[in-house]
Amino acid sequence: MLQFLFQRIMHASIVLCIVVVVSFAAVQMMPGDALLAAIEATGEATDSRGLEAVRKLYGQDGSAWQQFWRWLGKFVQGDWGLSMGSGQAVSDMFLQRAPVTLELFFGGLLWALAIGVPVGMICAFRRGSALDTWLSSGSLLGIALPPTFEALALIYLFAVIFKILPPAGYVPFHQDPWGNIQSMLMPTFVIGSHLAGVLARYVRSSLLDNLRQDFIRTARSKGLSEAQILLRHAVKPSMIPIVTVLGFAFGGMLAGAFIIEVIFALPGIGRMAVNAIFEKDFPVIQAVLVVTAINVLVVNFLVDIAYAVLDPRIRIR
Amino acid sequence: MKQNRRRVIGTLAGAAGATMLPSTRDASAQSVPNLADQAYTRLDAAEKPVRGGILRLATSLYIGNMNPNRWPVNDWVSLSYFHEKFVLNDGAYRPTVPYLAESLVRDNPKSIVMTLRPGIQFQDGTPLTAEGVKAVFEWIRKPDNAAWTIGTLADLDTIEVIGPLKLRFNLKSPWASFEGMLSGATGYALSAAALQQDPKRFESTAPVGLGPYIVEEASPGNFLKLKRNPNWWLAKALGRPDMPYFDGMLISVIPDPAIRLASFRAGKLDILSLEKTQFASLYNDKNYTVQILPANHAAAYRFNSAKGPCTDIRVRKAISHAIDRKALIDGTQFGLARVASGLYPSDHWAHNPALKTVEFNPTMSRELLAQAGLDKGLTIRGYVLNTPEAIQVAEAVKNMLSQVGINWQFDALAPVAAAARRTAGDYDMATGGWVFILDPDLAMSGLYHPNGNFSQGRAPDPELVKAIDAARNESSIDKRQGLYQALEKRVADEYLDAWLWWDLSATAYQKWVRGTNPDNFLKYKESWWFTHPLWFADGKPG
Repeated sequence: MLQFLFQRIMHASIVLCIVVVVSFAAVQMMPGDALLAAIEATGEATDSRGLEAVRKLYGQDGSAWQQFWRWLGKFVQGDWGLSMGSGQAVSDMFLQRAPVTLELFFGGLLWALAIGVPVGMICAFRRGSALDTWLSSGSLLGIALPPTFEALALIYLFAVIFKILPPAGYVPFHQDPWGNIQSMLMPTFVIGSHLAGVLARYVRSSLLDNLRQDFIRTARSKGLSEAQILLRHAVKPSMIPIVTVLGFAFGGMLAGAFIIEVIFALPGIGRMAVNAIFEKDFPVIQAVLVVTAINVLVVNFLVDIAYAVLDPRIRIR
Repeated sequence: MKQNRRRVIGTLAGAAGATMLPSTRDASAQSVPNLADQAYTRLDAAEKPVRGGILRLATSLYIGNMNPNRWPVNDWVSLSYFHEKFVLNDGAYRPTVPYLAESLVRDNPKSIVMTLRPGIQFQDGTPLTAEGVKAVFEWIRKPDNAAWTIGTLADLDTIEVIGPLKLRFNLKSPWASFEGMLSGATGYALSAAALQQDPKRFESTAPVGLGPYIVEEASPGNFLKLKRNPNWWLAKALGRPDMPYFDGMLISVIPDPAIRLASFRAGKLDILSLEKTQFASLYNDKNYTVQILPANHAAAYRFNSAKGPCTDIRVRKAISHAIDRKALIDGTQFGLARVASGLYPSDHWAHNPALKTVEFNPTMSRELLAQAGLDKGLTIRGYVLNTPEAIQVAEAVKNMLSQVGINWQFDALAPVAAAARRTAGDYDMATGGWVFILDPDLAMSGLYHPNGNFSQGRAPDPELVKAIDAARNESSIDKRQGLYQALEKRVADEYLDAWLWWDLSATAYQKWVRGTNPDNFLKYKESWWFTHPLWFADGKPG
């Protein structure tokens, strides 16, 4: 087990180094002068001294190598530089925005588990019935419905017509718990409904696979009820694909969160990342790529461990 | 009304020893201004403002830095709620309105004396003094502080404090746009004590200025919460202690324009700056008040006069005459623009009123192309920004040009990539223009002077450069006006750009918001808007 852990950590370190170098090179190769373009957009053209002062402040002076080593040296010490888009310390931006994105993700996860798992189980249990058809169609709708459309439709319905939920904005939980729940209800539902559709499909097919296995037939021959068979014997091995789906979802959290964070005006990491790419906000892009890479590597590592816990056959192999 | 004016004049005139004299070269020529003519003294006794309520606004971007001298400031409007300037621009965008600076006197071409208004206190209780102003300017000039405005003080030699409220600026050379500097980003009065104590805190969470509101809470990317400044100097000076009337402001960051509109319709916002696409849907809605006001932006396509087919003025002219500007404005700007005849908007003091808009005349375009030996047509290359609106306009122009045999192949690029193409001079016709045109030198030098940051792709023209330098060194505002009008005509006659339109902006107000006055805004612009706070009809929204 220790050797397994060591190997995974070494692999992860190599991948991380590659991500750091490639992402830096990619940002450097993007054409154009981000600072000049940003200043141009304000109409406040300044002379070269003003521009150079700003360049130095954001670590954009000197050769690409000098910039890289300077950035890397500071990054490992926790100084992630300043955002060219907001002037804030990048590490502060992460600390402020991470709770929003995590709340969005885990809120969505709650919706997904609350809807997707029961629906998948009912569909598997009532395979071929009218209920299965309706619920499976509903799952497909959840997958197929573009989040943008779903979000706008919900806003129009609940904020503009009924006026019972705020259309956009984020209220921190510690400031106003009820306001926080209200502001996160729609965004988490949009994230969760899509994931619920995927989960329901996976749970259904995985359960159906397991219900055909020999150990289920043995359980039936022992006289157990269908509910007991389902809950005691079929559910646990059926969780492996669910763990895979959730692992992917967590890994792709930033990409999924972006649209929702923009539409609902949530100050999360996804929105910050995409804005940074459009603005060529080098310090933020670099930090996002490194943090995302670490996130994916850690999640994959945890998923591997979860497989071993859920299915002893994987551990034996 | 008269009584109010008398009180205002009494309050302000006592402190007024001199005046704004941007056009005078020596102190002997100064005259005492009629303070009653200043926009901020115009108060309507018939109006009964009510105190109370939190004004709710939305922006697409978080404000960024709250020290105007540190990059980036993304929202200058919000910044103006807690910082104020020494000089305001008048209705023609001219920096002639004395505000925190009671007077500016040029005692010789290389020396300017500024006198501050007495009795003004910053939000931290420290007074506005000559020493403090000097300290802030010196802070900007110190390279270690990385102020992006350092370049705006390039012509400043030394600053002398010659009295508690009086300081002399000694210049390296005659500096015509000094007043313009004081009405721009560098001209905000900041508390020297707060800035020197903790510049990081100043720019991120606790800026200390003189404006009507104080920053209460800054949540980057989410919102900016302001509270009322009970000691706003202007309220005291005007004898209206209730000013500003709102208890505070909540400025939310909502990036998506559709969601800003939904929030406004849901009654969650009190004022909304409209996208052009949203204008039609609210303009005729009786539930809201929509105001259309001029904006000092000029939209244009720039030609590469240094290389390629557009080096020939007949080609530039042919392209310009092939564009139907009226149709573009109606079709792509929803009518929210004015056909442009040059760089400076028609309400700008430097605009040349003799300039005529370029006539839409495809026949003339074809003739010009034939004269240039291009009667079989030509292909030109270029770029536009990759926003839906810019692409839509470019597609329409491309179609218009194709009618006269010109094939415009353009790329839609992100601003960063577009800047790279421009810097390399890699275009024949590309997106151009200028936004926020205040001092005329900034745009003229920026676009056409070889030292300008945005002049790539222009053919060398020593006479033009000489004329720009001459205008830059002229300190008489009347003479400057003539020089810039001549410059504007010169670049228009050379067809260096195809000027398209000057923008109009639309703002929607909920019915309960009071104090908006489009007539006075049009007449006085920022010197009205910065000094006349709004209020809620019942002291609260809704």
